[in-house]
Amino acid sequence: MTTVPPEAAAQPLNPPATHAPPRNFTYWLSTTNHKDIGILYLGLGALFFLIGGVEALVMRLQLAVPGNTLLRGETYNEFFTLHGTTMIFLAVMPMLLGFSNYLVPLQIGAKDMAFPRLNAFGFWLSALGGLTLYLSLLEGPPSMGWFAYAPLNERPFSMSLGTDFWAAALLLTGTGTTLTAINIIVTASRYRAVGMGLWKMPLFSWMAYVNSFIIVFAFPALNAALIMLEVDRVLSGHFFSHGGSPVLWQHYFWLFGHPEVYIMILPAWGIISEVIPVFSRKPIFGYEFVAGSTLAIAVLSFAVYAHHMFAVGFARPVNLAFAASTMLIAVPTGIKVTNWVATLWKGSIRFTVPMLYALAFILQFTFGGITGVSFAVLPIDWQVTDTYYVVAHLHYVLMGGTLFALLSGLHFYYPKMTGRMLSDALGKLAFWMIVLGFNGVFLVQHVLGLMGMPRRVYTYPDLPGWGALNMISTVGAFVLGLGLLLTLINLVVSRRLGRVAGDNPWQAWTLEWLTSSPPPKSNFSRLPPVHSSRPLWDLQHPHDPDHKRPRRHDKGGHIREEEKEHHQ
Amino acid sequence: MTASPVPASETQPPEHIDRNRQSNGFWGMAAFLATDVVMFTLLLVANIYLRRYSHGPGQASLDPGTTFWYSLGLWASSGVLILAERLRRQTELSGLLYLLTAGLGLVFVYGQVKEYLRLTHLGARVDVNLFYTGFYTVTGLHGLHVLVGALALIVAAVLRFGGRLGERRSGFTGGLGLYWHFVDGVWAVLFAVLYLWSGP
Ligand code: HEM
Ligand SMILES: [Cu+2]
Repeated sequence: MTTVPPEAAAQPLNPPATHAPPRNFTYWLSTTNHKDIGILYLGLGALFFLIGGVEALVMRLQLAVPGNTLLRGETYNEFFTLHGTTMIFLAVMPMLLGFSNYLVPLQIGAKDMAFPRLNAFGFWLSALGGLTLYLSLLEGPPSMGWFAYAPLNERPFSMSLGTDFWAAALLLTGTGTTLTAINIIVTASRYRAVGMGLWKMPLFSWMAYVNSFIIVFAFPALNAALIMLEVDRVLSGHFFSHGGSPVLWQHYFWLFGHPEVYIMILPAWGIISEVIPVFSRKPIFGYEFVAGSTLAIAVLSFAVYAHHMFAVGFARPVNLAFAASTMLIAVPTGIKVTNWVATLWKGSIRFTVPMLYALAFILQFTFGGITGVSFAVLPIDWQVTDTYYVVAHLHYVLMGGTLFALLSGLHFYYPKMTGRMLSDALGKLAFWMIVLGFNGVFLVQHVLGLMGMPRRVYTYPDLPGWGALNMISTVGAFVLGLGLLLTLINLVVSRRLGRVAGDNPWQAWTLEWLTSSPPPKSNFSRLPPVHSSRPLWDLQHPHDPDHKRPRRHDKGGHIREEEKEHHQ
Repeated sequence: MTASPVPASETQPPEHIDRNRQSNGFWGMAAFLATDVVMFTLLLVANIYLRRYSHGPGQASLDPGTTFWYSLGLWASSGVLILAERLRRQTELSGLLYLLTAGLGLVFVYGQVKEYLRLTHLGARVDVNLFYTGFYTVTGLHGLHVLVGALALIVAAVLRFGGRLGERRSGFTGGLGLYWHFVDGVWAVLFAVLYLWSGP
């Protein structure tokens, strides 16, 4: 540290808020502050994650032994439809938007979002959508699966109003999501602190920003498909049956659906890109590549959508084109993984709970990505599509990937959001149960899929090995559930009993760690000058700031010794 | 954070610096309209793709002549709106021009409803075939856009009359203007593709 004028040193740049209004029910209903909306989103996501999780456990109970009769076939269909829809639209999406809402203004040094009231409106639309989906229980819930293939989604095959509730729910949450994305685009474009160019934005904000563009272009495809579906169902239109084209539904759905999987992974990558450098005590390796490959992903995510439709029977050149684009998208994804690993390389790694989740993320996500690429090989896809192999793949990327990143982010940002540290012991215990449980559930499903077990069956015959593998999967699910329960307990208990965190408990380098924990209503009163993507590093090392050091590596390509920070 | 080593003179308040002259409302609306572009395009593509397999009443039942005159009104309203914004100093006149814009939009919607009734009478209903399923979906959605826009224009007129549509609301006027021109533009495409072009 340098010599500092005493009066400046004595005063923190951003003193904590002094008096705050009481946080009662009406406060939460009417708040427009981005941090409150972020927390509301996280809460909404957690609530639906609980519901979707219980649905999953019931399905796993039904599948525990061959020929089980706990659920009827139709009920099982309703369970997996509600489970898939809930997890994707009401659990993962709200949690990701919660982080975006909470973090983007803080990371770029803004007071709030560009449209605070629109922000609240978007959240409540999403909440209403969640309610609408579960109101379908009164009418007979939807049972055609989360991607609702035509003509199963049409009146003659899904006669209950539940399918219409489903469509309404997706339109509502989708609109809420789109409004939030528009908000993030305008906020990150116009409200960045002086000196923070686009290519100096913290990586989480970068990815949330690019993600918002994907949302803006992908969700209208879903909306168009849903409107057409309702014209068919309510007004007896002909889009997807009665002379129309069921494959058209698949085109429009996956034109949304594949970008959607990247919508769910980009913010997760953002969280990982924040956590890994902090706990390796090194700047991220290849910032420009991590950020830039995101742009490639954004474009390619639309260009690969028909890889979900290899079984439709397209002409050969069409299949080959989509197989090729699918393999291509693995390149920018691989670049990111490489950069995270390179960041770990020779770092002084601190195995905190958020870091453990981040490391598990890298392994599990990479594994899921590799099975993903295996689908791009057409004969493999034809063999394993609609088997448990696909179920295993999508859960490795969605749960082993996105959810682990969310848990990492939750443990990383909890001190900022609440001012308290989570219990380390409880966190580590829960982590190991979750890792064990998760891999227990899904690793064996690769094998089941390769043995030919189809997905979306409510029971199965007692073929050799099937019963044992399914039993492992079910036991794993309960270990996983228990681990998640422990995490929930940790979150609740530490709110009162946790150690006081201070502004920057992890010694991180981005602006959100400059302000108090939890931050005051308008985040910052003064901002330091921003010259690099690590403004707090520059602040703490006035003689060795990032922007005065153009090269991070010596001639041999190794990280220079001074680049590593040793005091911890 | 430990105490800041930066002298207070070097820090800055988190002010919002405007890099562009357009308002937040304008850019927010632009992003929203991007979603609309995608949605209208996909609905129109569905119609173009499916109408080849359509049987029964088709494009020939439409009435491009009458519709054209109503369309002209809608397109003219875009010009009126530009005038309304240019003349914002003259409260009364500008307010009236906003109302006129809304009125032209509503007349267009009236024309569309008349066309719907005429077609229904002829038996060209939404459930009759592929062409009309698509036709009603995409024109209906567009009509809804016009209706919403007209309501917003009436709000703008009322605000203007009350002298409450100043700089502080430039986001509202900027966004609304962009929206209205966009809706008019979409109609030009829909009119050409549905009424004039005989399809692939
Ligand atoms: C990045 C996160 C990813 C997510 C969230 C994700 C999600 C999914 C989901 C949900 C499905 C299931 C479709 C269904 O319901 O049948 C799926 C299937 C598929 N995924 Fe991924 N995926 C990801 C990454 C990848 C990658 C990196 C690739 C290839 C490079 C890939 C290739 C595929 C293919 C080809 C299928 C189609 C399988 C089939 O049904 O035949 N995915 N993915
Ligand atoms: Cu995909």
